[in-house]
Amino acid sequence: MGAEIAQVISLSPVRHRDDVLAGEGLLPVLPALRELLPDGGLRRGSVVTSGDWGLLSLALVTEAVADGAWCAVAGIPSIGMRAAVEAGLDPGRLLLIAEPGPSWPQVVASLLDGFDIVLLRPPEPPSAQLRHKLEAVARRYGSILVLAGDWPGAQARLLVTDAEWTGIGVGHGRLRARRVQVVSSGRGAGERPRSAWLWLPGPDGKVSAAAPAAGMSAHDASARRNYLIDAEQLVSSG
Amino acid sequence: MTSLTAAARRVLVLRCPDWLDGAAAGNGAAAGSGAAAGSGTAARAFEPVVAIVEAFCPQVEVLRPGICAIAARGPARFFGGEAELAAKLAEAVCLGGFACQVGVADGLFAAGLAARAGPTGLLVPPGETAEFLAGHPVTVLDLPELCELLPRLGIETLGQLAALPPAEAASRFGAQGKLASRLARGLDPRPLIPRPAADDKSVQMEFEPPAEHSEPVIFAAKALADQMHDRLAAAGLACVRVQVQVRCANGQELSRLWRHDGLLSALAVAERVRWQLDGWLGTSGITMLRLIPDQLVRATGRQLALWGDSVITDRVARAAIRVQAMLGHDRVTRPMSAGGRRPAEQVIFVPFGDAAVPDRPPDRPWPGQIPAPAPATVYQAPLAACVTDSSGEAVSVSGRAQLSAPPALLSAAGGPPRAITAWAGPWPVTQRWWDPPCACRQARLQLVTEDGAAWLAALQDGRWLIEASYD
Repeated sequence: MGAEIAQVISLSPVRHRDDVLAGEGLLPVLPALRELLPDGGLRRGSVVTSGDWGLLSLALVTEAVADGAWCAVAGIPSIGMRAAVEAGLDPGRLLLIAEPGPSWPQVVASLLDGFDIVLLRPPEPPSAQLRHKLEAVARRYGSILVLAGDWPGAQARLLVTDAEWTGIGVGHGRLRARRVQVVSSGRGAGERPRSAWLWLPGPDGKVSAAAPAAGMSAHDASARRNYLIDAEQLVSSG
Repeated sequence: MTSLTAAARRVLVLRCPDWLDGAAAGNGAAAGSGAAAGSGTAARAFEPVVAIVEAFCPQVEVLRPGICAIAARGPARFFGGEAELAAKLAEAVCLGGFACQVGVADGLFAAGLAARAGPTGLLVPPGETAEFLAGHPVTVLDLPELCELLPRLGIETLGQLAALPPAEAASRFGAQGKLASRLARGLDPRPLIPRPAADDKSVQMEFEPPAEHSEPVIFAAKALADQMHDRLAAAGLACVRVQVQVRCANGQELSRLWRHDGLLSALAVAERVRWQLDGWLGTSGITMLRLIPDQLVRATGRQLALWGDSVITDRVARAAIRVQAMLGHDRVTRPMSAGGRRPAEQVIFVPFGDAAVPDRPPDRPWPGQIPAPAPATVYQAPLAACVTDSSGEAVSVSGRAQLSAPPALLSAAGGPPRAITAWAGPWPVTQRWWDPPCACRQARLQLVTEDGAAWLAALQDGRWLIEASYD
């Protein structure tokens, strides 16, 4: 497989500096996710994981796509496009490769050449050698690999640790919003784990910052106020 | 009304009774000219007739196998009158071995009737179409509902129908009435669409001995593409897509369609051939390369955005096309919103480079949709599931949308059972009952399981399905 990736690289040896986006080096993320990432954004040439496939994977790329980046989604045939649109993702800048097939590393390498972001769920766990090759491709083209799945050696790893749905009871209501705790850890020295509470999704499908769950917010008046405002919004939107 | 009729275009209709069922019985002289069953075969067998008509006028519209039409004004001027044109055309077609009738009148509908009017057809002089039509019974309109209704109201002929004020006809009989009124007055329901010339514009090259490397093939592709573009340009045509066909020494044929839109240079076509050959690993010994322009359209010189409205950078397009060469045209898609009640119906996937319009528009209300937030995971094929109550019985839903018991356990796709901590529903939906293959009756539930996951489950035909999950 390494030979084919090398071939892809050799096909377009020139990095197309002309159509690299403004703000070179860092693509923006949603405000709620900023503090979770080491650089406050998606660093070009880096690898970011988002745990198993879910709305968090989509939320990571939303703001960059709104900013003009192109995103390819590989290996996720069950992507919920309406959820993506509600989260603010522009479907016009997406390309889907539902089944990248057995030669998926070559496909991903080709996509990394053309797209700013590649959102990938590998069909099989990649070997260490393959991972290093694809990381090198991402670095070379200055594109970002966002993983729905595991990737040892990723620059940032995000994970949903705690999730709670609101709006639904036993036999009444409906799913309205989910409050989650996302924990991130980086690779660099001195990186301490960060965590944040998010509405993932909020009542309108958007992803935004949330106050911690009720039990933890007792000592934090401002957080509690935010929580009440959130709760009010929930009720009024229903 | 008369002035409108005078403004209508002169149309010549050529009709071959051999192809037309009802007429074939009356015209015992079915010449056996290939009026086979199956409309595809019939269309191909009709090709020689169209070719003869094309010699008179290049813009031929085939209405259906057996009937074609041309705009009569130009050729009539050339051949010295409509009667001469009709006679010459009928003679040419008869010499080709096909029985035919030729009718000329204002508008397509009247011309079609005129072709049926006599053993060899009829020429209705300009301006007399209304009188010609007036005598026909309303049943010739081929609008079954109206043809039954009108005689009961005392409107027996097209003349009587034409005498009604058009606005009244439209308000009383609806869209069909409007159409009928237009036809009865000798107006066209729609303009003629010219059929582009059918001759072969494909180009090919043989390799003897078989080419073992892709380079000479790619080099030849550039020359072939130049040749194809010259041929198309000479005919004033452009192609929407180009088909690249490769035959290998072992007899295997590989072909793939590429979007062209009249905008690709010869070099760009050659580059696509390269991608295609690279995509087929192990392809060796190529004996033939053929480029076939597909979907010919008139070259308008208009520069369209190549990939639809939103502008795609060259870099993105190149990467997408390279992946298409590896996996196949339809495996690389762009999502497009569509309307629907079930999550899986709310998006269609359009192959990169194609344009598509969803047949279910998303901007309609679609009552019965599950409201936002939408699930992040939508299974294209729903997962089989098992929803049971606390006693282990499968939960069912009555015709009045009542659950047999509160759901307690969910097991999705044969996985371990998970306790249900919250649920809502059932919400029934019945859709497309008029269309049996797509008809669907469901009762939907939202379920939250002990691990914090949320699911959209549906009971359909007595089976529980997981349609989506909200994680």
